[in-house]
Amino acid sequence: MTISSIEAIALIDANNFYASCEQSINPHLRNKPVVILSNNDGCIIARSPEARALKIKMGSPYFKEKERLNKLDVAVLSSNYSLYADMSKRLMNLLKNYCEKIEIYSIDEAFVSISRPNNKNLYPWARKIRALTYQNLGITITIGIAENKVRAKVANKLAKNIDYSAGIFDLARNENENSYFKEISVDKIWGIGKQTSNWLKSKGIKNAQELIDMKESEIFKKLGIVGKRLQLELKGYKCLTLEKGNKSKREIQVSRSFGTPITKLEDLTQALAIYAIKASAKMRSQSLQTSAISVFTRTSKYSSQNYQRSAHKKLINATDNTNVILKIVVALSKEIYNPEYKLSKAGVLMQDLTNCNYLQQSIITYKFQEDIKKSENLMRTIDSLNKKYNNKAITWAITKKTKEWTINRNLLSRTSTTDIRKIPTIVI
Amino acid sequence: MDPFSLASQRLKIPLLSASISAGFPSPADDYTEANIDLNEHLISNPLSTFFLRVKGDSMVNAGIKDKDLIIVDKSLRAKPGNIIIAMIDGEFTIKRLSIKNNELYLKAENHNYPDFKFKNHIDIQIWGVVIYSIHRFL
Repeated sequence: MTISSIEAIALIDANNFYASCEQSINPHLRNKPVVILSNNDGCIIARSPEARALKIKMGSPYFKEKERLNKLDVAVLSSNYSLYADMSKRLMNLLKNYCEKIEIYSIDEAFVSISRPNNKNLYPWARKIRALTYQNLGITITIGIAENKVRAKVANKLAKNIDYSAGIFDLARNENENSYFKEISVDKIWGIGKQTSNWLKSKGIKNAQELIDMKESEIFKKLGIVGKRLQLELKGYKCLTLEKGNKSKREIQVSRSFGTPITKLEDLTQALAIYAIKASAKMRSQSLQTSAISVFTRTSKYSSQNYQRSAHKKLINATDNTNVILKIVVALSKEIYNPEYKLSKAGVLMQDLTNCNYLQQSIITYKFQEDIKKSENLMRTIDSLNKKYNNKAITWAITKKTKEWTINRNLLSRTSTTDIRKIPTIVI
Repeated sequence: MDPFSLASQRLKIPLLSASISAGFPSPADDYTEANIDLNEHLISNPLSTFFLRVKGDSMVNAGIKDKDLIIVDKSLRAKPGNIIIAMIDGEFTIKRLSIKNNELYLKAENHNYPDFKFKNHIDIQIWGVVIYSIHRFL
């Protein structure tokens, strides 16, 4: 059953995004197997199609695969997030020009909407965006078109699975969708997690078509309104809307794994301080202020020790001032520290974020307006200097001690599209 | 006189009088505009524009010299006469896209370098069109 609709939804995502970014700006990597490693060069988190063809597994630990990758002459790169972020920004800006609304869903995927009068053929539109993305960025995208978000996700999956689709699949213009839905296993449907798919399988529901045919009341009883919506969307009704492009984030997290585990309090404090400085700058760049700060740390998942702690502080007045935040984070770091454990990861979390344009100061502190203004100016100056000098201009003394715990990125792809000292060199 | 003492002497001479804050408002204040932003003037398609650094002299006659910074727009369709970035057998190169006897080839702008004929290479791809080269003289 297809419900005719005047607005089509497409889910557009980049194929093998991290590997594609690297291949796009480095000709040596083209048509070659490339894998990208996670922070600390731990696991394989992205593979070029050539690496996929060699049956190199996603998520497998690098140290296990190292020898084989060498033998197969696979290019191995540490993740280069500033490159991926820049390419993502370019991709999203391109998509914005060719749709009415856009919801950026992750670094490499977006839901977009486009009007579709009289069941208009959207293949020419999709082919154009696909060609432009390849020409402008050197990146291949897949486009799934349908009436709503859940079906657009399904269409995207079909575009990838079906060889002759050329990266585009329009579910709304397909006669025999039942046969396609039978090919989609329930655990591949957007919004269905492991638990839900296990439950569905125990009920004999294995594919999307069987989920569509399942009794509504049975789904509602177990999965509530979320499940009911999901089934309705699969049937072609529209229940979920595109969320606004620049939705306010509810929290900002900065966390990293350490290159070598740490046991000293001063190292933990220093790491958390650096993350707090980053998080504060991030908040200010989005005009946000926090009223609750958390810090956490834990031991490695692979170690025999098991320790994790977090500490939390609520603030009376929301702030984006690094000085204020640092004091709190440094104090909190003492609460989570335990000398008996080798800590492998830590992070800070800024919660209860509010937009400072609408901020109301509580009356008690009103007389400190002048101080607030002063600190605001200071932060603004620091941010603009750091923007100018690539985050190297001004920081806090606590970050300056030698660090033994920073991230390992031994195989970092040196190339950058955002730092003039690391732009690709071309030998002519 | 050694340069260090010269520098320190210079530092002692105030260039502007300290009373500047109490002085007359500048008659140009109302005409202050934002600084010239080269991004704005040199880049019309930011999302498809990339910077690259040149090493080598095969394009000197076109004014592209060693260490120059070049600005490349990938969105432009290359036309004969354009200077382009091509990928030939897995390497980047800059050449002038040219046409002779109805045949496309890539021309070096230095007599010491060979031209590339498309038909002699399996893997030639045009990556982008060079729109500016920035040369530093000092």
